[in-house]
Amino acid sequence: MTMRPVLLNSCATATTAAEARFRIDVPIEGRAGARVVALDDDAATIVRRLALQEWNGARFFTLVAGTGPGRNGVGDDPDEMPLHRTNGTDTRLADELMGADVAVMLATAGGGAAAAASAIGRACARRGIMTAGLVLGDRHEVGGVVVALRPYAQVLLVTADEQDVHEVLTALRA
Amino acid sequence: MLKQEINELLTQTGPGTPMGDLFRQYWIPALLAEELPENDCPQIRVKLLSERMIAFRDSEGRYGLIDEFCAHRGVSLWFGRNEEGGLRCAYHGWKFDVTGQAIEVPSESENGNFCEHVKLTSYPLVKIGDVLWTHMGDPDKRPPLPEFEFAQVAPEQTYISKRWQECNWLQAFEGGIDSSHVSWLHAGGLKNDPLFKGSKGNEYNLADFKPFFEVAEAEGGLFVGARRNAEADSYYWRITPWVMPSFTMIAPRADHPVHGHWWIPIDDENCWAYSFDYHPTRALTPTEVENMKAGHGVHSENIPGTYRPAANKDNDYLMDRDAQRRGEYFSGIRGIAIQDSSLQESMGPIVNRSKERLVSADAGIIKARQKLRKAALALREEGVVPPGVDPQHHRVRSAAVVLPRDESFIESSRDALTAAPGKPHATV
Repeated sequence: MTMRPVLLNSCATATTAAEARFRIDVPIEGRAGARVVALDDDAATIVRRLALQEWNGARFFTLVAGTGPGRNGVGDDPDEMPLHRTNGTDTRLADELMGADVAVMLATAGGGAAAAASAIGRACARRGIMTAGLVLGDRHEVGGVVVALRPYAQVLLVTADEQDVHEVLTALRA
Repeated sequence: MLKQEINELLTQTGPGTPMGDLFRQYWIPALLAEELPENDCPQIRVKLLSERMIAFRDSEGRYGLIDEFCAHRGVSLWFGRNEEGGLRCAYHGWKFDVTGQAIEVPSESENGNFCEHVKLTSYPLVKIGDVLWTHMGDPDKRPPLPEFEFAQVAPEQTYISKRWQECNWLQAFEGGIDSSHVSWLHAGGLKNDPLFKGSKGNEYNLADFKPFFEVAEAEGGLFVGARRNAEADSYYWRITPWVMPSFTMIAPRADHPVHGHWWIPIDDENCWAYSFDYHPTRALTPTEVENMKAGHGVHSENIPGTYRPAANKDNDYLMDRDAQRRGEYFSGIRGIAIQDSSLQESMGPIVNRSKERLVSADAGIIKARQKLRKAALALREEGVVPPGVDPQHHRVRSAAVVLPRDESFIESSRDALTAAPGKPHATV
């Protein structure tokens, strides 16, 4: 038998502005597991700048300088992919993905993003970590980068506005 | 997550607010044409963007949208008489034309010029398609009339309805660019709704609950592409255009008509959801129109004589727990429109976005908010005309396509995403 709701439990009461005052007001815990990886030199400049700001536990990385697709340590095992922290120290992808719940890859038109995106995408897929790709630049100039990222980024945002990177990370409570 | 001050900026659309100024740059739906069906028909109250007005159609068929309250003593002109070329106040007989100009003040001398100096605020009201459109901004900066395809096709190819939604416009609109909820909330509709069911696209939709998303800039707003696995070497893309400030279209399914929405603020805690269906190349069938009127597809069954859905918060949206248990309706609520409005109204009149926990799949929503905020501030600080004002930006379509996996959904679908008379829509 279908029960009729009592008045205080009904949608008419529950959705009023007055009732909204009684929503539990404890802040939702911040995300502690965002990892932001720059896939090329221009993206690295942006990531270093972002890393100076206050975040909710996000960690920022650049690829190892002077290495490119096929030569950047990606190899067959993406877990071994080397990364630089923005303070200059070295780390590897597997260590940084521990405790992560989203990996954000940042790329620009100048990037040869395929190998690194593949490594990050495969490593995240193994662990069930969400991946997002932010591609900065005019859509006509970043087509190759978008194609390279597409298989590995569950969300791709192509934008000409650098401010979007900050906006997305803020919205994600990174 | 959104800071409270930004949430307020985006959700408040009254006079003098940044987002209110933004909305006042556009031609927006004010009424359905059916609400003023004939000359000298009864006038109706209209509230838009937190302004109360009266809409009427005079003896010559001219439409007017004027301040609701008489210039004399402030009584509502809803009680007045619509006759002989104007709206006459029931209190002392003052009469106003469709521009708000007083044309008779019985207590004053017939030969005097008193009337000339009395004029109510008024806005234009223009019929395009089955919609009466208004522009509530500066008349000197009035843009060309809108050119949305649903309002441009022949009358037999289009159908539009509206429903009152009891929450802020932004949370309603955000549902329109949030493709990921479709496989969940509307799963029943994909199988059963006569205006949705039976497409190959639905099979792809229901086989892949974890779509990938791409968000791309458009001149008038955004394109949000949701891709799911199709065949071994291809993806199924559903592409949603958003034209600023609040027009969206849903990707088509098979040869069904294509649908979409316009969300228009009534005030900060209520909005109108205009829902349309049209087919670009053929007349709607009698069965399709019957189904739309019955509340299938994106439409709602309304309380007769009103635009309030029959399933509303006062009756718990006619929640059917048995149907929910059977999987007929995922939320227990019948109908795609009410499935959306019930959940969006449950968020409260204006949801507190400082508490939300977005995920990367919400990138379309994040980007849309940013574009709205930037446009509102650019307008306020530099007078920049926002995207979506230019009628060129209105000529968009949604599309459903299957593409090779290495193809860009924007580049490959550019033609499909552009409206043109008589051109078939891209659908799966």
